Amino acid sequence: MILAVLFANSEGNILVERFNGVPAEERLHWRSFLVKLGADNLKGVKNEELLVASHKSVYIVYTVLGDVSVYVVGKDEYDELALAEVIFVITSAVKDVCGKLPTERLFLDKYGRICLTLDEIIWKIFFSSGLELMELLDGHCDILALIGYHCDLRSV
Amino acid sequence: MAQPYLKKDDDHDDEADYSPFLGIEKGAVLQEARVFNDPQLDPRRCSQVITKLLYLLNQGETFTKVEATEVFFAVTKLFQSRDLGLRRMVYVIIKELSPSADEVIIVTSSLMKDMTSKTDMYRANAIRVLCRITDGTLLTQIERYLKQAIVDKNPVVASAALVSGIHLLQTNPEIVKRWSNEVQEAVQSRAALVQFHALALLHQIRQNDRLAVNKLVSSLTRGSVRSPLAQCLLIRYTSQVIRESASNTQTGDRPFYDFLEGCLRHKAEMVIFEAARAITELNGVTNRELTPAITVLQLFLSSTKPVLRFAAVRTLNKVAMTHPIAVTNCNIDMESLISDQNRSIATLAITTLLKTGNESSVDRLMKQITTFMSDIADEFKIVVIEAIRSLCLKFPLKHRSLMNFLSNILREEGGFEYKKAIVDSIVILIRDIPEAKESGLLHLCEFIEDCEFTYLSTQILHFLGIEGPKTSDPSKYIRYIYNRVHLENATVRAGAVSTLAKFGAMVDSLKPRIFVLLRRCLFDTDDEVRDRATLYLNTLGTDGAVVETGEDVKEFLFGSLDIPLVNLERSLKNYEPSEESFDINSVPKEVKIQPLAEKKAPGKKPTGLGGPPPGPPSTIDAYEKLLSSIPEFTNFGKLFKSSAPVELTEAETEYAVSVVKHIFDGHVVFQYNCTNTIPEQLLENVTVIVDASEAEEFAEVASKPLRSLPYDSPGQTFVAFEKPEGVPAVGKFSNMLRFIVKEVDPSTGEAEDDGVEDEYQLEELEVVAADYMLKVGVSNFRNAWESMGPDCERVDEYGLGPRENLAEAVNAVINLLGMQPCEGTEVVPSNSRSHTCLLSGVYIGNVKVLVRLQFGIDGPKDVAMKLAVRSEDEAVSDVIHEIVASG
Repeated sequence: MILAVLFANSEGNILVERFNGVPAEERLHWRSFLVKLGADNLKGVKNEELLVASHKSVYIVYTVLGDVSVYVVGKDEYDELALAEVIFVITSAVKDVCGKLPTERLFLDKYGRICLTLDEIIWKIFFSSGLELMELLDGHCDILALIGYHCDLRSV
Repeated sequence: MAQPYLKKDDDHDDEADYSPFLGIEKGAVLQEARVFNDPQLDPRRCSQVITKLLYLLNQGETFTKVEATEVFFAVTKLFQSRDLGLRRMVYVIIKELSPSADEVIIVTSSLMKDMTSKTDMYRANAIRVLCRITDGTLLTQIERYLKQAIVDKNPVVASAALVSGIHLLQTNPEIVKRWSNEVQEAVQSRAALVQFHALALLHQIRQNDRLAVNKLVSSLTRGSVRSPLAQCLLIRYTSQVIRESASNTQTGDRPFYDFLEGCLRHKAEMVIFEAARAITELNGVTNRELTPAITVLQLFLSSTKPVLRFAAVRTLNKVAMTHPIAVTNCNIDMESLISDQNRSIATLAITTLLKTGNESSVDRLMKQITTFMSDIADEFKIVVIEAIRSLCLKFPLKHRSLMNFLSNILREEGGFEYKKAIVDSIVILIRDIPEAKESGLLHLCEFIEDCEFTYLSTQILHFLGIEGPKTSDPSKYIRYIYNRVHLENATVRAGAVSTLAKFGAMVDSLKPRIFVLLRRCLFDTDDEVRDRATLYLNTLGTDGAVVETGEDVKEFLFGSLDIPLVNLERSLKNYEPSEESFDINSVPKEVKIQPLAEKKAPGKKPTGLGGPPPGPPSTIDAYEKLLSSIPEFTNFGKLFKSSAPVELTEAETEYAVSVVKHIFDGHVVFQYNCTNTIPEQLLENVTVIVDASEAEEFAEVASKPLRSLPYDSPGQTFVAFEKPEGVPAVGKFSNMLRFIVKEVDPSTGEAEDDGVEDEYQLEELEVVAADYMLKVGVSNFRNAWESMGPDCERVDEYGLGPRENLAEAVNAVINLLGMQPCEGTEVVPSNSRSHTCLLSGVYIGNVKVLVRLQFGIDGPKDVAMKLAVRSEDEAVSDVIHEIVASG
């Protein structure tokens, strides 16, 4: 299952975090682990280039999108490949809402819309006017619908 | 708590640093939420407030029950607004607040209205919200709409309903299972996402029906599945069918293999990977089957995307554990990955190479690793150390260079876990490769000269005490050990004193000198160190003359404390100081079997130092207390063993009964744990009538009925049998639950005065040979085996007949004997043709037993077994053979 989805700014402050099935006392550990992982490796990385790490039996896929870094943590069937699909959907949706690569300011300005869009991704694709987006998300959108339920992501 | 977003510096550019959530506070936002109650709703303002609430929740903030309820009731007012954007936010926040059952009712009618709305977006979202917050009763009301939604022509609505179905299957399976027809129709949908969700749901509905899953897979593998994700699911289900069908792999025709192989040419990378992984994980996969999968994985090794490289090398790493030869083709690509920027990939590449490398490539590989080790984190280093350990065990001739490598990295900086991994590896190599012993011990000696970890120092000192005296020149270790007495903390000093004593006991020529050193320790500042020195000086006795040490002294110094430490700890805590001194024989020896949920720690490696992991707290104390409180059983003596509960009823029946077998020397007590699951009944005078006609050696001596068994509060009834003392009598018992049943008025909870006698058939119960055996592990099997000696050894060979594989045969024998597997030998590598399994236990009468099982399997799957038993009593060794012969 998906254990965590986390958005952080360039300084490592958390913008959005969602944990699922992670005990409260371990969250701090995960948060600092992920932020450190990003600080160590995301410098100079191209936007949306996916990086991967594994910590014990858990997989982490993470990337940078403008000023925001995005981390997805999973285990079992949510291995690095499934997580790559998930993060792709998430970054696509965020970009779509912001209209471009998000700065931190833009991300916070559009916070409500981002929550909404990520919650309703299946709706979005269908009703989006451009065929382009539909093609972009075709085959990917569905996984987010699943995680919306499986992982209590709800309004990430 | 998450770190709240803080403004970094006021001097910075306002535009860049402005945050709409600057200084946000929960209390203020909750105040703002009052706008939801305005008669004239401002949709924009309301959306903003909801956003703030979401922001708080996403930061890890929580609302109290009262706060959440207040917000929820306010939010329900927003259904009055027709604004599309606001309605969407309302859906999100309702899910977020997860209202309680009595609150849900406020919004259900609004949501049900939206669910049948003409607007697709309302329909889809309302379904998702409703299914999340609803319970079983409401579900039956909306079931009709959900079924329609599954086959809705709008794929979004259909997906929303399907995904909700997946969610609801956990809580209301019987309702969702009725949707099978609609879901099946949705599997044929042209929309990729609908197909994916429908397939997932359909499989979940049918997962317990093997034939149905088989049919599903057969039909879909023939047709074309559009969505790559659905294709991945299909591959997973296919592997499951292949695993369960267990066809004859010897003839080479494996069902569905062609389908999997075909998927390797799919255009989506994820499908290719899924298929490649499925093939590599097939049971008993042949090299011919593996080749195409390995080839595609090799291509991905040089991909530009880190995720794909990682996925490929991770899969190959797994394959290398079972089929190292098949992966050797990829070695060149793998070597270039050692310098990969991503350390996870580099570590996986190295460990794979260590598994696939041959003897001649070891030195070259070690050179590469040395440079690599300096710039990775400890957790990766540990993985590499473990790989090097297995490599060394594989190529013992290379022990010199590998041991040198380990000792070099031991001197470098590193945390505790890392150092422990290195020390463990050196210890294992010393134990398994005799030639490596002397150099390994010296490396460890040098390490403790400058070791900052007390735990490691004491463990190494302990190990030195056992292995050091057996070397050709034990005197050279004394200096290192005695230095500890001068330079270290009290714990290490005490350890060093014990080690010195062991040298004194084992090496007679050193004894006088050891005495001098031990006498010096009598002036130590620490009590424990002085006490130990005094104890050992007295135990070794004879005032330091060069004489042989007595066997009982050696047993005292070297014998293992065959009691689980947790049990000892608990007994000591329970011991109340009195005239009577603490009796170590009163400590229970049984290691409680871990419940399944706690067995998650994957792949426990054999630990180098120390004994087996301590067991969790035992329940045997509780049983002992319970039984001793029953007067009928007080003269039965000491409880030898209590079995795990055995279910005597199926799940979800009227009465749930399980039984625990308590074994005494001359008695057996059955403890029946009963639960009444019918609220309208009260049971009284509950007994179990046991028919022991198939258990000739047992005679019923007592039965203790349960006076009353109300609904859902478990109780126990007992039946005791006498059996010949010390004899491992076995037999079958049939059980009948007998009771008086009284009707209970559900409104008042009062039972009627008159009852009816009734009976309820339970399953049979067996007392087997394993019930007379305690699972007691030993920390070092070889030492224990040698110290037991061949006097009472019995060896014989047995044919176990045709078996599916070795693992099955090994498990069968372990279960038959009921003994504790040692050193992880209960795990049989797949496809192995022979296996050795080590078991230890304590037989009734407190007789220690060790068993060495050697298995072999030949072509037509006939398994042969050589059984060697050593125990303290030859009669017991014979009994073990009898158990196997009759099992």
